[in-house]
Amino acid sequence: MPEENISVIRVRDKLLVTIPPDPDDRTISLLQEKVLGAMEQSEALGLVLDVSMVETLDSYFARTIVETTDMVSMMGGSTVIAGMQPMVAITVTQLGLSLGRTMAALDVDRALDLLNEMNIGDQHG
Amino acid sequence: MDSRKNGEVNISSEMDIITARKAVRQVAVEIGFSLTDVTRIVTSASELARNIVTYAEKGVMSWRKINGMEGKGIEITFTDKGPGIPDIAEAETPGFSSGKGLGMGLSGAKRLMGELDIESEKGQGTKVTVRKWLKRYHAERSLGA
Repeated sequence: MPEENISVIRVRDKLLVTIPPDPDDRTISLLQEKVLGAMEQSEALGLVLDVSMVETLDSYFARTIVETTDMVSMMGGSTVIAGMQPMVAITVTQLGLSLGRTMAALDVDRALDLLNEMNIGDQHG
Repeated sequence: MDSRKNGEVNISSEMDIITARKAVRQVAVEIGFSLTDVTRIVTSASELARNIVTYAEKGVMSWRKINGMEGKGIEITFTDKGPGIPDIAEAETPGFSSGKGLGMGLSGAKRLMGELDIESEKGQGTKVTVRKWLKRYHAERSLGA
């Protein structure tokens, strides 16, 4: 059941993943595997994690995001988190979590712009 | 419409964490907490239910709607017969963790909920109780309103 909740979409040479509202642990670790697999297959240089639907981001989820970002980075890619809801941002911060060096943007458009500005992707039109 | 006053969720797997979250979300919304407070409550429940799965393997989350001097509120209790917490003061310190988490479970839940009590005896188990009160201005000042 979790598998169909996540799709990794290729937008030019970046990957876009939309995270479901209330993912369980298995969905989250599956997401990590899928993203890394897609990074390899599509030779993408950037990854946007769209969290705009996410309602609960606990320490396990946050840790997996940071970990995934590090793994993507080791494969030569950059990750931007997009669209975190205010109530989630408030809760995550007060819980004492941080997303480390993971970049963030207000929405998916701005996340894609951010990756473009870093000269990641779109290099061959 | 105001359905049940209390309830229980058995916690023995990671899937039960999701069940616990859903139950608590519904109750918190029913009580009238703001969306931000609902998120705080659900996230705390997620952390504390995860503690049970990580440290004790199984346990029970029970919730109840409460009334006090300050008005309405929610109380959630997490009980297990696991190894217990040898040093509660240490376990409440931000950053402390003896398991796979980030050590944010207890200190984070306390910050998010306002009230947190721990009873624990080594080898006997752990009971963590969290409470959050619906403050009137919180009800009116919900996020984005």
